[in-house]
Amino acid sequence: MARGATIKLDVFRCRPEDERGTFRSYDVPYREHWVVLDALNWIKDYMDGTLSYRWSCRMGVCGSCGMMINGQPALSCAVFLKSYYPNSIRVEPLSYFPVDRDLMIDLEGFLAKLKSIKPWIIHEDEKPLEAGEYLQTPGELAAFKQYSMCINCMLCYAACPVVGAEEDFLGPAVIALAQRYNLDSRDQGAEERSVAIDADEGIWGCTFVGECTEVCPKQVDPAGAIQRAKVASAKNWYSKLLPWGER
Amino acid sequence: MHHSKEVFWWSLFSAGGVMAALFMPALMVATGVILPNRGPAAHAQIHETVSFWPVRILLFVILFLSFFHCGHRVKHILMDLGLRRASGALAVLCYGGASVGTLAAAYVLATLGSG
Repeated sequence: MARGATIKLDVFRCRPEDERGTFRSYDVPYREHWVVLDALNWIKDYMDGTLSYRWSCRMGVCGSCGMMINGQPALSCAVFLKSYYPNSIRVEPLSYFPVDRDLMIDLEGFLAKLKSIKPWIIHEDEKPLEAGEYLQTPGELAAFKQYSMCINCMLCYAACPVVGAEEDFLGPAVIALAQRYNLDSRDQGAEERSVAIDADEGIWGCTFVGECTEVCPKQVDPAGAIQRAKVASAKNWYSKLLPWGER
Repeated sequence: MHHSKEVFWWSLFSAGGVMAALFMPALMVATGVILPNRGPAAHAQIHETVSFWPVRILLFVILFLSFFHCGHRVKHILMDLGLRRASGALAVLCYGGASVGTLAAAYVLATLGSG
């Protein structure tokens, strides 16, 4: 690597009043240990202070720096420049989301879907505080723990062609989170969640493409969660048809 | 619990996928490749096997579920190709086609050996 080497970033730029965005190129110093987020921060600090993007922890925990990097959804804090050098890197906002500005997407639609599945523990009977904790065995914890690792980074939405084609599809992360609560032994909210989950496009829009699981930085396996949600719903539906099934 | 009608179609699709994956390749190789090359004796043999009622029922279940598996998959492929608005018409076409296939299979299996 030559001293003073640079790498070119083609970054998507779009202001709220623009109808469509454009790409702007930046030659950024190339450092072997830099990730794409470091390069964006360098642009923001030394080249163009108007560049807008979200980030926080820079260590794959907060889930705010998701972007399309050379067309692939990724956390920009987890993708090294050296994976692309000496070629240039194209940075765009996550696919299928409306853009607020530059690399920042509009989260409203996602948050409304998230809220619709009531992502919190719902007790049938609330115990008084004095009655103590709701205890769980390691096995009961293992039943849902994987799905609780989601950091809401929305990479799975940008990877899912059904999200792009069907507005009402709840999407991978939200369904995985619904499973996270439905499978929790302390929770009795499956019935309430089924209104959103079992809507025509809620889970049923999924055609098991599986890209969500491929791009998930936390190994949540949303594709698996969706299939399990479908099986659970089908079992429940058939069990109600039986004369001795619960209504 | 709330349920979309999709739960019914998906359950047929899912069960059909299992049936198709487990039985279809073996059935196609046996009845389509190996036995036709073994002459009339093999034909009589397979006719006898299929005439056995439990085998007819098993074949019917495999064919019925595989038809609906296929119908559901084709419907979703067409929706993904941009016919999302026509999902009602596609349902009639795809599930209707699967129903016709199922009825034809039932007729053939029920009348085996009677002609």
